[in-house]
Amino acid sequence: MSEMSRMKFYCDEDRCIECFACSVACSEAHELPTGISRRKVITLNEGKESLEYSLSIACMHCTDAPCEQVCPVDCFYIREDGIVLHDKETCIGCGYCLYACPFGAPQFPRDGAFGAKGAMDKCTMCAGGPLETNSSHERHMYGQNRIAEGKVPLCAAVCSTNALLVGDSQRVSQVYRTRVLSRGHNHIATPKAWKSAYGS
Amino acid sequence: MANTWGYGAMTNHFGDVVENSKAILMIGANSAVANPIGFKHFLQAKDRNNAKLIVVDPVYTKSAAKADHYLRIRTGTDVAFIYGLLHIIFKNGWEDKEFIDSRVYGMDGVRQEAEKWTPEETSDVTGIPAEQIIQLATLLAKTKPTTVVWALGITQHSTGTSNTRILPILQLVLGNMGKKGGGCNIIRGHDNVQGSTDMCCLADSLPGYYGLGEASWKYYAKAWGIDFNWLQGRFHSPKWMHEKGFSLAKWWQGVLQEEKTYSSSPIRALWVQGTGITSMAQTAKVQEALDKLDLLVIAEPFVNEAAVITSKKDDIYILPVGTQFETEGSVTATNRSSQWRSKVVDPLYESKTDHEVMFEFAKKFGFYDEYVKAMKMDIVDGEIKVVKKDYNWPDDASNEIARTVKTIGLGGWTAKRLREHQENWHLFDPITLRGYGKMKNQYYGLPWPSWDNNHPGSPVLYDVDTPVNKGGMGFRNRFGLEHDGVSQLADESISVKGSNIKGGYPEITKDNIEEVLKIKLTEDEKKKIGANWKVDLSGIIQEKCREKGVCVYGNAKARVKVWTFPDPIPKHREPIHSPRHDLVMKYPTYEDQTNNFRVDVRFKSEQQQQDWSKDFPTMLVTMRVVNLSGAGMLERTSKYLSHITPEMFAHINPELAAQHGLRDGDMMWLHSPQNTKIKVKAIYSHSVTPDRIALPYNFAGMMQGVDMSANYPEGTKPYAIGESSNTITNYGFDIITQIPEFNAGLCKIERA
Repeated sequence: MSEMSRMKFYCDEDRCIECFACSVACSEAHELPTGISRRKVITLNEGKESLEYSLSIACMHCTDAPCEQVCPVDCFYIREDGIVLHDKETCIGCGYCLYACPFGAPQFPRDGAFGAKGAMDKCTMCAGGPLETNSSHERHMYGQNRIAEGKVPLCAAVCSTNALLVGDSQRVSQVYRTRVLSRGHNHIATPKAWKSAYGS
Repeated sequence: MANTWGYGAMTNHFGDVVENSKAILMIGANSAVANPIGFKHFLQAKDRNNAKLIVVDPVYTKSAAKADHYLRIRTGTDVAFIYGLLHIIFKNGWEDKEFIDSRVYGMDGVRQEAEKWTPEETSDVTGIPAEQIIQLATLLAKTKPTTVVWALGITQHSTGTSNTRILPILQLVLGNMGKKGGGCNIIRGHDNVQGSTDMCCLADSLPGYYGLGEASWKYYAKAWGIDFNWLQGRFHSPKWMHEKGFSLAKWWQGVLQEEKTYSSSPIRALWVQGTGITSMAQTAKVQEALDKLDLLVIAEPFVNEAAVITSKKDDIYILPVGTQFETEGSVTATNRSSQWRSKVVDPLYESKTDHEVMFEFAKKFGFYDEYVKAMKMDIVDGEIKVVKKDYNWPDDASNEIARTVKTIGLGGWTAKRLREHQENWHLFDPITLRGYGKMKNQYYGLPWPSWDNNHPGSPVLYDVDTPVNKGGMGFRNRFGLEHDGVSQLADESISVKGSNIKGGYPEITKDNIEEVLKIKLTEDEKKKIGANWKVDLSGIIQEKCREKGVCVYGNAKARVKVWTFPDPIPKHREPIHSPRHDLVMKYPTYEDQTNNFRVDVRFKSEQQQQDWSKDFPTMLVTMRVVNLSGAGMLERTSKYLSHITPEMFAHINPELAAQHGLRDGDMMWLHSPQNTKIKVKAIYSHSVTPDRIALPYNFAGMMQGVDMSANYPEGTKPYAIGESSNTITNYGFDIITQIPEFNAGLCKIERA
């Protein structure tokens, strides 16, 4: 798989202002139940001077996706462009992927008796699932397939400060690099979450 | 602002900040929450120019989290803080002397006042460490251009008018006005707030800031093609034509009449269209007044919770009105740019558009013909005439505005041009606003003033280095030609680029046009020309000025002394309910006020009634949350937005919470000096210090512990309801504008 064609997310924590546009747009676009958060905005050290930062986080579509490795029923598959997807009709809702995931991306429906888990749900990078592209069945099970329509995933499209970047890894890194260079002050070389997801 | 240099609007624009600002002083604004997309531009300025972002706020906000410097100020001490900066700037000779001498009047008074505000005194009053004040003054003096950004944290105070004057004064002292990357960028909080302000949806002015004087009414009578006497006859008696109405802040006194009011009769009916009055200060008083009304009419897309917080059972009418997607026309952005919007769908179900509702009322009240007449008129050969039988909405409404509103230069805002700008978005640079191709030599949305049909718009106000016909101008000559024997016109050295007149000149009138422009008018022109540029429907004054590269409103000095105000030079005055009773005597508020907007207002008598800080020791700070705007009714009907803040809360420092035995998530009562209370959830947060709490104003549906859910019409109850912070905002109003004191008050915490 060429690095060129690999799709990645990156959230610039110097830009993210915890406005929730990404997570609300995601839930709205894919018509998710309120208990499911495919994309979350987290804030660390809230209110503490000079220490607070916010980050939008969802499935990072890891290079060596741990979820795929631990799944007992092999419901995950990784597309050629690096997007990590799964087959909800194969998933047994065991939750192994949740334990393996460094980002808490896998979501499980919480209703029903004893909070019984249903099939796992997670960010698809707006790329749908294994069903027929843009079919109503796919939309019902996995939400919109914007990638197939040549559109940017909605979370990044609505980001109010352009903090959340998505796309071809080289392009993402180029946008970020330009920003960091012109900022002209000390800055971490590798963004948070990048290393766990992509290994370098 | 308008009293300083002519206009009270944002002087520059967001793209300009990205491109040119080297420092951004944000005070009394939390753009990261109130205008997230606007805030992106400040982050871009940081990224692209290494611009320094300085945030001054009582709370460590989301904007502060992105700042290079954060200064935690005590509420209601902004004037003192700016004087503290000015003290250091003057002391070191860092002021822009050339700018002050040539373009500013009255600076000596400011210099004198600033002398008192040593870093130590400023620090004691504001709570900001002296070193930080010195550091910031140094940074501002050495970093040009700096832009100053503010919003309602500055205006919504009993000293709001002084606050909005002291920041322009800072920019004048630093010489940052009329410059790219500088200016005073006041950010409007909602869509089209600038537009509704320009149209003066206010109690004290006609559209376009024309005031309520006889000359203004006569000008409008002419522009609307109706008889002045007919207009006058619509009033109870002629004198009411020139009296300010009740303000949005204190209209409820017109119903309750507890304080002395000055009106021909009490208010008996209220018609609310497009404003969330449940997020206004003194919500408990709003509720009492609603209960007492004979008639309440609400016209909005969502149920206005005014209908919910009242226990009134009859005579409430809720009219469904379409949203902006169901109508068409222009809106005005915070930077004075206009933008045309197309209709996406027809009004849904039985709803009507806003204007249809008003037209229907006008028909029933019997003045529809007069109401729409101007839309059938136009200027023909320098004179206004009826030119057609019927009007074409909304284009003719826009054209009427363009033809009539001279004061802020809307002459160029014809429907045709605004539509062209919308259709050619792609031909404008988002940073400079400059057009390409066929939109060349125009700025996007024709930021006003756009004096006439050929004017490109003015992206940066008061820029004398740009010719008038390309968007330049001096300060407005609005306050006479001289004061105390000193000329109010700009110095000889300040000529607007490309102008035929050297140095300052007065605003252009029928009487002075020949002398100032050195021209001769024909007899026909003399017959048609208006008395001055503001009321010249013929357009002759603008036409002649264009030829000479002259700005119709003159080229004058900005003034820092407003001789008609109670404080000609702004002064620090403690909030009405101050946590520092020891400072109340040193910096007292104003004397009580008689008849402003038809009602008396208590100042000193309220402030000095007792030491409020004894019984109400905690500072009360109100704030917005990002997922809710205004009264929040619209957003709280969205399950995903409600999910972010499912209930009303207050941010409380764990230290303060511990004093009251409150665990994170416990309920507490907050009591106000005017004996109101709300029950809210205590949420631990380090964004507030232990002397203050912060809470949002975007909830409604609960009043002083009482759940009003039963009052929602069936199927309209939002996902989240709660108490509004404004039920306990303290008494207090600005002495000029009467804007309520939302932002500096006190409260008492009690574990629930």
